[in-house]
Amino acid sequence: MKKLKQRLLCFFAAAGFVLGAAACGNASNEAGETNAAGSATETQATEEAGNEAAGAVLSVDDLPGKRIGVQLGTTGDSYVSDYESDGSGTAVERYNKGADAVQALKQGKIDCVIIDEEPALNFVEQNPGLRVLPEEFTLEDYAFVVGKGNDGLVEAVNAALGELGEEGVLDEIKKNYTGTEEEVGSYLYEKQDVERSNGTLVVGTNAEFPPYEYYENGSITGLDMDIMQAVCDKLGMEMKIEDMAFDSIIPAISTGKVDIGAAGFTVTEERKKNVNFTDTYTTSKQVIIVADAGNAGAKSSFADKLYDNFVKENRYLYLLKGLGSTLVITIFAVMIGIVLGFLIAVVRTSHDRTGGFVILNGICRLYLTIVRGTPVMIQLLIIYYVIFQSVNVGKTLVAIIAFGLNSAAYVAEIVRSGIMAVDIGQFEAGRSLGLNYKQTMSAIVLPQAIKNILPALCNEFISLLKETSISGYIGLMDLTKGGDIIRSITYEAFLPLIVVAVVYLLMVMGLSRGVSVLERRLRNNER
Amino acid sequence: MSDNTVILEVKDLCKSFDGHEVLKGISTTIRKGDVLALIGPSGCGKSTFLRSLNLLETPTSGHVLFEGTDLTDPSVDINQVREKIGMVFQQFNLFPNMTVRENIMLAPVKLHKMTDVEARKEADELLARIGLSDKADAYPASLSGGQKQRIAIVRSLAMNPDIILFDEPTSALDPEMVGEVLSVMKELATTGMTMVVVTHEMGFAREVANRVMFINDGVIQEENTPQEIFEHPKSPRLRDFLSKVL
Ligand SMILES: Nc1ncnc2c1ncn2[C@@H]1O[C@H](COP(=O)(O)OP(=O)(O)O)[C@@H](O)[C@H]1O
Ligand SMILES: [Mg+2]
Repeated sequence: MKKLKQRLLCFFAAAGFVLGAAACGNASNEAGETNAAGSATETQATEEAGNEAAGAVLSVDDLPGKRIGVQLGTTGDSYVSDYESDGSGTAVERYNKGADAVQALKQGKIDCVIIDEEPALNFVEQNPGLRVLPEEFTLEDYAFVVGKGNDGLVEAVNAALGELGEEGVLDEIKKNYTGTEEEVGSYLYEKQDVERSNGTLVVGTNAEFPPYEYYENGSITGLDMDIMQAVCDKLGMEMKIEDMAFDSIIPAISTGKVDIGAAGFTVTEERKKNVNFTDTYTTSKQVIIVADAGNAGAKSSFADKLYDNFVKENRYLYLLKGLGSTLVITIFAVMIGIVLGFLIAVVRTSHDRTGGFVILNGICRLYLTIVRGTPVMIQLLIIYYVIFQSVNVGKTLVAIIAFGLNSAAYVAEIVRSGIMAVDIGQFEAGRSLGLNYKQTMSAIVLPQAIKNILPALCNEFISLLKETSISGYIGLMDLTKGGDIIRSITYEAFLPLIVVAVVYLLMVMGLSRGVSVLERRLRNNER
Repeated sequence: MSDNTVILEVKDLCKSFDGHEVLKGISTTIRKGDVLALIGPSGCGKSTFLRSLNLLETPTSGHVLFEGTDLTDPSVDINQVREKIGMVFQQFNLFPNMTVRENIMLAPVKLHKMTDVEARKEADELLARIGLSDKADAYPASLSGGQKQRIAIVRSLAMNPDIILFDEPTSALDPEMVGEVLSVMKELATTGMTMVVVTHEMGFAREVANRVMFINDGVIQEENTPQEIFEHPKSPRLRDFLSKVL
């Protein structure tokens, strides 16, 4: 309880500060200290829990009994799972992305992170106080992943890989990303100017896995992406990248949303059951990242952090673009929600009052039950992966539809209660004047119902705005995902998360203010 | 007072709610210019009867003929018929989100009986007639009960109906406001408007109605001129009822 309070205090102090800093556009040293104090408290709070697992991880043999962090669905995850059941109390923490695992390691929530070597080196370079153990965890081969039964594509890609190998292109690309210090950045694969008459190859990836795939200056790049581009050039195909959660890639391939997976996939027997692998294009290893004893991490000043997270390479654009998507999704979803919600509400109340619309009412009830009985995230995933499985529609449109359909169910019930709250005498007065059912509803009942429910409706749309933050699950870059991308580049949780939170907060506060003004206006009316 | 034109003819009207029989066969004829007062103990079915006349309640059996048209025939456009049957409710049922004038104009304009301009003129004339011209732009919430009910009456008048049904129009009013509503109704009666009035105002029934109908146990127990009903009640039930309300 106390801990929670402490954290809340920290949060508000920090949020308040970020607001202030944003307002004057100038981060002072004093402020930097406030922030440092904030994270110190945080570390303290988590270390209490951390001290139980004694002894540091120095080699693979030390792993049993430790708290190991991995990225969900990676080979590290599946190997480490064997430790979980060995009775030594090993705990495996599975994170959606490597950067989150590293963050947890820095905060002492886990003892080590097992992850692919290249990203590991990248993480360590960005985070003083972390190091990679010299002894690797396992060796492994990377290959591209293709759907079962798509042997033609496997053969074509293998042929292209073979040619690229002979021409030396493959080696050049690999050196460019994973070679020695001089080699890195020396060779940029140029997209070839060839005829692309053989269609589009949809490549599924998870662009949070440098140097294999990551965001740079707003677009996705990396070793896998360059090789994929080279393959597409050989095949005479257009390449289209779909960014999604790592553990969604194989399901996306199985359902045909994506043609080929290029995300540092290790060849494993388990995966072979579900997908086909192309030839290996590179080898890597799983390594162990640990924190140095007494790790404090080099402290960069707050101003530096602000610069790194938002200014450098115009990273604030991730937030801005994301905010744009968030607003577009919310606004259009609200429109769908209102129109559909009203229709459903009218059908339901008409049925209640007149007994008509039996079939339509049944459909509406089923719809309401399903939509209100399942999490919106599952609905979003179902609409994207199942309903629009084979149809190529934009993700933004998918999100608008998903959130619109979801919102409609809640709007419908709000409207229905609003209609029911209008005195039946109003309805009878309208009918007795000769207005028909529709005229009575639209001219007399609905205007009064709307007035009653406007505040509740606005609140529904405020929650909708916040709910769209799960759009990232279908790889859509909304505000939250924009912050996530920055986090995956800078390995810094605090600033991107706080700024994203503050942006949501500001929007919600603005809307809430609007609602209360509206409420007051409505109350003053009719006097 | 009445000529021979039949406005409403009710034939063996029955109405049950979930097996509970409220009206057990009512027949009567209402002619042009009639002012029919419906009296009877609470819960005897007066409102149900009245609301059956414009089909706000659907009769279980029997027939209601308005100017020769059988309203219980499903092929009849009930909305068109209701334009000609005004109704005034105990609870006024003014539309709270509209001004007084808008309340009056709504139906004539919506149903294309008048243009906007005509309806506005009509509304203002009706308001002048009941002395409430200054309330034209007010919202109902700012009015007294008596004012609301007078406006509800002219709202139904704006559709130029052939008959107006009143369901206890003064029962929800403070005593000092009853008079102003009754005097509007009285004035209406003198212009020859056909009216059916459910009421507990025996003075009004005696003075204004030309017929009084006593309903009890779902049937017409006694129907006669006010004089006969009040001076020479025949059934013991009516006598009992009158002894309680007079
Ligand atoms: N919609 C309804 N559903 C069920 N019962 C009703 C309904 N309306 C009226 N009743 C019943 O019918 C009877 C007569 O009601 P009503 O016509 O309102 O009486 P009155 O107006 O003479 O006081 C009462 O017993 C009442 O409970
Ligand atoms: Mg009644």
